[in-house]
Formats: sequence, structure tokens, C-alpha cells
Amino acid sequence: METYAHRKLEGAGKKRRVDPEKITGIIFIIPLFIFLIAFTFFPAVYSFVISLFHYDPFFHTIYPVGLENYISVFHSAAFIKSIENVLIYTGVVVTIQTFLAFGYAILFNRASKISRISRAIVFIPAVVSPVSMSIIFIWVFSNAGLINYFLSFFGIPPHNWLYSTTYAFPAIMAMNIFTTAPYFMIVYSAGLQAIPTEVMDAAMIDGLKSGLSRFRHIYFPMLRFSTILVVVLGVTGAMQLFDQIYVITDGGPARATYVPLMFIYNRTFVYTGEIGVAAAASFVLFVIILLITIAQRRIITERRW
Amino acid sequence: MTIYQNPLVARRHRGRAAGKILIYVVSIALALIYLLPFYWTVLKAFRNSIFANFPPNMNPLSQTSVTNFLINLRTVWNFGDFPRWYLNSVVVSAAVVAGSVFVGSLAGYAFARLKFPGREVLFYAVLATLMIPFPVISIASYIFMLDLHWLSTYQGLIFPQIASALDVFIMRQYFLTIPEDVEFAAKIDGLKPWQIFFRVSAPMASPAIAAAVIFSFISSWNNFLWPLMEVHSLNLFTLPLVLNFFKGANGTQIYWNQMMTVNILTMIPTILIFALFERYFIHGISLDVSSR
Repeated sequence: METYAHRKLEGAGKKRRVDPEKITGIIFIIPLFIFLIAFTFFPAVYSFVISLFHYDPFFHTIYPVGLENYISVFHSAAFIKSIENVLIYTGVVVTIQTFLAFGYAILFNRASKISRISRAIVFIPAVVSPVSMSIIFIWVFSNAGLINYFLSFFGIPPHNWLYSTTYAFPAIMAMNIFTTAPYFMIVYSAGLQAIPTEVMDAAMIDGLKSGLSRFRHIYFPMLRFSTILVVVLGVTGAMQLFDQIYVITDGGPARATYVPLMFIYNRTFVYTGEIGVAAAASFVLFVIILLITIAQRRIITERRW
Repeated sequence: MTIYQNPLVARRHRGRAAGKILIYVVSIALALIYLLPFYWTVLKAFRNSIFANFPPNMNPLSQTSVTNFLINLRTVWNFGDFPRWYLNSVVVSAAVVAGSVFVGSLAGYAFARLKFPGREVLFYAVLATLMIPFPVISIASYIFMLDLHWLSTYQGLIFPQIASALDVFIMRQYFLTIPEDVEFAAKIDGLKPWQIFFRVSAPMASPAIAAAVIFSFISSWNNFLWPLMEVHSLNLFTLPLVLNFFKGANGTQIYWNQMMTVNILTMIPTILIFALFERYFIHGISLDVSSR
């Protein structure tokens, strides 16, 4: 025996307040999870299944091959070369871009118009598409490009950087450091802004006036979290290098710039009936990225500066 | 007074001022270095020679004219289906932005404010998607699209880009910073949770929504690998594909003046949006950083 008013009072009290929240919560995440399941989780599992099959979507031939695709991935000279390349690339690019990003952030960490505008300009490459940047850098590194122009002032003869097995990959590294360092600069800028002013004041009183000791005792420890993020995101991004390679060198010359995503792309679209191999390669890459990330988190969090 | 008479302190002040000037000089120099490639890009679009000559002509007044630019623009506009390609990019990006920001802010709000069973686990599931490299997803997505007959379709381009962990993080983190009192007051007034979201919380989260819009716009406008895999018909080309296509359109010779015109047309929307909403952009990155 309860009246409407009675129920309404109870609703304001207990049961009714929990329920609509629960239901709304579930309804609110349903759209996201529909898309996540359909276009992320399902494909990831499906990819793994494909990696265990010989699959040809056009002729509809499909049969299980066990671990054969993984074996042929590891036996493929092209894949081994691509992993070598991308590990070197990641080592070089992530190291340099992390230091540069940190440096840029410190440099622009001032409340003045000059700093703000300079920072915004430096940031432009990070919002421009990698393909656009690649097109511009084809010119920068071309025979008639900016790099040769600068070197000509020092009497160094022009060089066709992107057609050289020695220099093509370093050129792409340089370009990507140039464009990604500003992106990670913002991560450090956010970290710097999160350092409480009291900490800086205390440091001043304690006599940490010289730049170096300030770096050692404040910036490095306080920005450790930012560094983890910059390095982890940097590695994940660098290991998945594709756009620039595809547009600029297509993996050449002589596989000098061949990377795992080129291998995966080629096995999917250029070769026929090798999608299983491509899927296997993508999981090998996944595991490598995962291992590096875990190792890195360990090293950076445990290391005392 | 006495402070400035102390020679040590005075010297330190002079040193500071010099340091400040040095910092500004380095800042400006760095900005100029970063502008240089774009500077030549713009110059080239205003010239009529297709070649890149050596040494590069950096004089803004030499061989440049608005007429040249208009001619380049017309040539590019008449190249293939350029207007349609441009429109494709606009349509796909607009749909991705609308979809991912809507879906992301609903989920972000649920993760920040609404208690429902499995909330933590599901949030970790979203977080975990960041660890999955794109190729792991893309191969099966491609086959999935093939089976659905969605290759070279708008929905095939748009749908896989909608679920964005980044948008969820940004929105969730911002909702966490809004004082709960406001929502509590709305609750007392008898608003249901979804009404609170649409009438109270979402309007208050406009800076985060702006950041999410900018992020998802830039990432979908610039996306190359997914369109490359998904689109096998010229009709559905988006601008990054067009750039790559145009690059190889004349064999090994790149027609630099036209190439850079296409490039400028591709870059303008993202640079413009960044310039206009820089504040939100940087705020968005710090929200994303603090949520991990």
C-alpha cells in the first residue's frame, strides 16, 4: 500500500536514485562499445585467427596451417631486415626527440608573447598530415633542396639523400624527429605547468640557482611521468612508421628503409594469398612493442636520477 | 636600494637579462627554422615553374605572383575529381568528428560520473586499445569491410575511426574536474541522469569538447593508412591519398608548383583550426596526459 507521493519520497531516498544512474551509465557506454567491439576488439581477434590460416579472400580458399605463417615470417629476410631497421629507427628517433621535446618545453616555458607564438609555430608540423610533411621533405632532401643549399655554404657538394642506401633512412629519421619533437614538447609543457610554484620557490631558497642543479633536482624527478609517456608513446609510434616510408621511399633503396608496416602492407595487398603471413607479422610486431614498453616502464620508473 | 648596490646581485641581474634575451633569440631562430620548409612551399605555389631549381630561390618577390597561384589552383582544381576529393575529406572528417565526439563524451561522462557494474574493467578495456598497434586491427578490418561490401564506401571509411580512446580520456578527465555540487543540485531539482548530462554537464564541458573536436578532426583529416587500405576507387579518395597520387601523376618528375598548391589546400584546414583553437588544443593534451 503505497501512494505515488510515498514512492516519490522513497525514490529520493534510496533505491530509485541508484537505478537510473546504472541504466544511464550502461546506455552511455553502449555506443562506444559497439564501435570498439566491431572495429577494434573483433578485428584484433579475427586477425589472430587469420594468422593461423592460409587465407585468400578473393578466391575464398581458407584452411588452417598452424604456426606456418609465423615460421615463414621469421624465415623472411625482408621481415628480419624490417625489424632491424625499425629497432634502429626507434632507438635513434625516440632518444633524440625525447631530449629535444624536453629542451623545447623548457625553452618555451615562459609567459611571453614571443615564447607563445614561437611555440605555436614550432608545433605546426605536428598538426600537418605526415603525407604533407613527406612531400615537403622530398624537396628538402632532394638534389635541389634545403639541406644541399645549407651544405653548399660549407662547400659540401649536393647529394641525393633519399636515393642513397646510407642516407635515406637517416634523412627520414631527421624529418620525423623534426615533426614529432614538437608534439611531445606539449606533453612536457603540461608537465612543467604542473610543477607547483612552491617547489620552484623552495629550490630558489635552497640555493638551486644554477640551471644544471635545477634540472637534476627538480625537472628530472618531477617530469618522470611525462618522460614515461613521451618514451612509451614515442616507441609505439616509431615502431608503426609507415606513411612517410610509403610516400617517400616505398621501403627502398634496396630495403634500406623497409619497415614492418611496409612488410605487412605488401603481404596484404601486393602479394596474393599472404594475408595470413601479414597477420602473423602484425602479431609479432605487437609482441615486440609490448615487450619494449614493459621493459621501458621498468627502467624509467626504477632509475634514480 | 641596497640590493642594487651589491655588485654580486647586480651582476646576477645583468646575467638574467642576458639569459632572457638569449632564450628569445633561440626561440625565434627555432621558429624560423620550423617555418622554412613551409615558407618555400608557399613560395612555390605562387610560381609557375614546375621545377625545383638549385639553389632554391628564397626571395619572396622573385617569380611569384597571385596570377601564378590562381593558375596553379585552376590546374589542380581540374586535376581528376579534385573538388569531389576535397569534399570526401570534409564529409569523412565531419562524420568522424561528430560521431567520435558524441560517442566519446557519452562514455567519458559515464566513466567519470555514473556508477554502473564493470565500470573499472571497461575503462581498462578502453585504455588497452591504445596498446594494440593499428596493423593488428587493420588486416582483419579490411577483410571485414570486404565481406560487408564496404570497401570504397563512406561508411567503411568513417565507422572504424569513430571509437577514439583519446576522446574518451579527454572527456572523462574534464568531467572529473567539474564540481559535483552542480550536478547534485540538478539531481535535487529532479533531473534524470541523462538530462543532467545534456542540460548541465555537457554544456559545462565545452572546452574539453572543443579539444576532442580538434583532435579527432586532425587525426581523421590526416589519416593515410586506413583510407589507403579501404579505398580502391578514385571516387572515394581523401586528400592524403590525393597528395600521394599527385606526387606520382607525372612519373618521376614532381610538378612542384602544383604539388605544393595541393599541399597547401590540404594543410590549411588543420593549421587554421590549430591557430584558432590553440588554447583548447594544448589544454586537451594536458587533459589526455593527466588521465593516463
